[in-house]
Amino acid sequence: MSAPHVGAAPVRDHRRWHRGQGPLLQSHMLVHALRVVTPAQAADTLYLYNWNNYISDATIARFEARCRCRVVQDYYSDNEEMLAKLAAGASGYDLIVPTGNAVEALIRSKQLRPIDRARLPNLKNIKPEFLDTRFDPGNRYSVPYAYTVTLIGYNEQKLRALGLPTDSWALIFEPKYLKKIKGRVTVLDSQRELMAAAMRYLGHSINDTDEARWRRARDLILRAKPYWAAFNASSYIKELTIGNIWVAHGYSNDMFQARQDALRAGRPFSIGYSIPKEGAVLALDSMVLHRTGRHPDLAHRFIDFMLEGANSAELTNLIGSGNPNRDALRYIRREIADNPAVFPDAEHLKRLEMMRDLDRRSRRVLNRIWTEIKLR
Amino acid sequence: MSGKPDPRHTRPRGARLTKWVVTAPPTLFLLAFFLAPALIVLVASFQYPGEFGGLAPITNPGDGREHGLTLENYAFFFSDFLFAEIFVKSFTVAALSTLACLVLAYPVAWLIARSPRHHRDLLVLLVILPFASNFLIRVYAWMIILGPQQAVAQAVNGVLALFGLAPVNLLFSPFAVLVGMVYVHLPFMILPLYTNLEKHDPVLLDAAQDLGANAWRRFWRVTWPLSLPGVFSGSALVFIPVLGMFAVPDILGGTRDMLIGNLIKDQFLGVRDWPFGAALSILLTLAVLVLAGLAAWAARPRGAT
Repeated sequence: MSAPHVGAAPVRDHRRWHRGQGPLLQSHMLVHALRVVTPAQAADTLYLYNWNNYISDATIARFEARCRCRVVQDYYSDNEEMLAKLAAGASGYDLIVPTGNAVEALIRSKQLRPIDRARLPNLKNIKPEFLDTRFDPGNRYSVPYAYTVTLIGYNEQKLRALGLPTDSWALIFEPKYLKKIKGRVTVLDSQRELMAAAMRYLGHSINDTDEARWRRARDLILRAKPYWAAFNASSYIKELTIGNIWVAHGYSNDMFQARQDALRAGRPFSIGYSIPKEGAVLALDSMVLHRTGRHPDLAHRFIDFMLEGANSAELTNLIGSGNPNRDALRYIRREIADNPAVFPDAEHLKRLEMMRDLDRRSRRVLNRIWTEIKLR
Repeated sequence: MSGKPDPRHTRPRGARLTKWVVTAPPTLFLLAFFLAPALIVLVASFQYPGEFGGLAPITNPGDGREHGLTLENYAFFFSDFLFAEIFVKSFTVAALSTLACLVLAYPVAWLIARSPRHHRDLLVLLVILPFASNFLIRVYAWMIILGPQQAVAQAVNGVLALFGLAPVNLLFSPFAVLVGMVYVHLPFMILPLYTNLEKHDPVLLDAAQDLGANAWRRFWRVTWPLSLPGVFSGSALVFIPVLGMFAVPDILGGTRDMLIGNLIKDQFLGVRDWPFGAALSILLTLAVLVLAGLAAWAARPRGAT
């Protein structure tokens, strides 16, 4: 009894805001749901259902030129929205790019077409640590695309001046550090993400569902909460960029954007980000073939195309996403490639975990704990 | 062809037809878009959560999945005081917002109603002008206005410093939530009050003055009682939407500003617990109905006064 994509929504909550989607615009999902793609339109058209802003226009143009076909994209801003649209009967998508736990949901509800690995010579480019995941053992259905890490972004000058550590969750959980940055800290407004950070800090797995441990994590959070400004999934990029907030718990892509924005705005400070040494959440997005897609050949060609280093690197250069492709590294801009928060070393990588879904009973236990956290 | 129509019959039938044609669309609209969804929510509140989100089936699907109806969702609500506490808090915030709206809106509505007739339309237009821009953008604007580096916060903290008090954060606080709620809902209080106050006959006030009533007495004994219907409808238009609002606490609230709207939203968009979200919605609706009933009972006409 579990709903494999339950953890997915919080992971992607930020995208709803930062990829051109207002939080109250859920109704466009319905509009999409009613617009069923008719595959008969063209035999040489690839229907790609992707995150907002999750592929470079140049990449699309190059693929279209090579395959002499057209790529039609539809967009979603969180996994749940995508799953709901498919559940409402949308069909005809050849390719989708869901996060791990949503991949698991799609596999378990038998919506995916197996991958033909013989047609993906470039699959060898994927680093082995991103293959054979728990959500798709043996990669029968999914091919890694890109990833984000949930970490800490911070104002480099302020934190250096205050002499605070930036490599540990202690920064957002320990009152002895927090009292120097009271009211200047935001944490993600997400049950799973915040609990994951607290659980890692306490030395547990993010997927541990032991209630006593959750309660200790709750106590840790409640002790730190008076020092936080807000639970924030929507505006921490801006708050970091203008200097209102000095420390934010958030996603690596967002921190990349905050850093770029602060640079471009010529701020007297810069935004840094790093993965806490205790470990963190890694959200891996993978390409999957939907069962209703009419162009599996073209879809395989697209996957193999995206597995080429140069094409894969383009996305990382655009949004600062993590890249599981070995061959991509040489095309990635130096300042991104050298950033250990985007490309963690083996030591850090070992402590990154992918989120698994909770069964409904655990969800309620966590829900109650979360409500308590929010209220107290 | 049955000859000329009998006017005695056609007219009532025509009137009936007109009445039917006029009332059917709104009735159907309410049935389809209010009653039916409300019933769906009611049923959902007794169902189990579905495996991939949504709802578990009511009838046995035959594959061992959880199904049927349950009281579990309500039991979860009443299992401790936590969720009820959020209800109490939300009603308090809604009451405070309504009160603040009333205090701010009354003078504005009164001024508009007393201004020269040819100005009134323009003034009413100005009141509703903010609706021309998106609600979220206006709330985000408050985020900038209340930010720690802006004039408002600087001024407040400057004054606090004069008295030797520590600076405060305006943004991400219960205060910011209240400001947002009042700002968003103020027009909904001004408009019913204005339409009510505009209809008052100024002769009544003259009569009261002739009988020796001072300005306060004229207001308290004449204008205020006459304006009560406007006060009630304005209050309802503010109180109920504030109860369900989740965007304002999300954007402007701090670490303790979860309201019932946020809790319900989380059930659907965050944690995929539709049945519990449905149960919360039903309980909220019941609470509002009880409150409305109490208000009607308190405001019932008493005796022959």
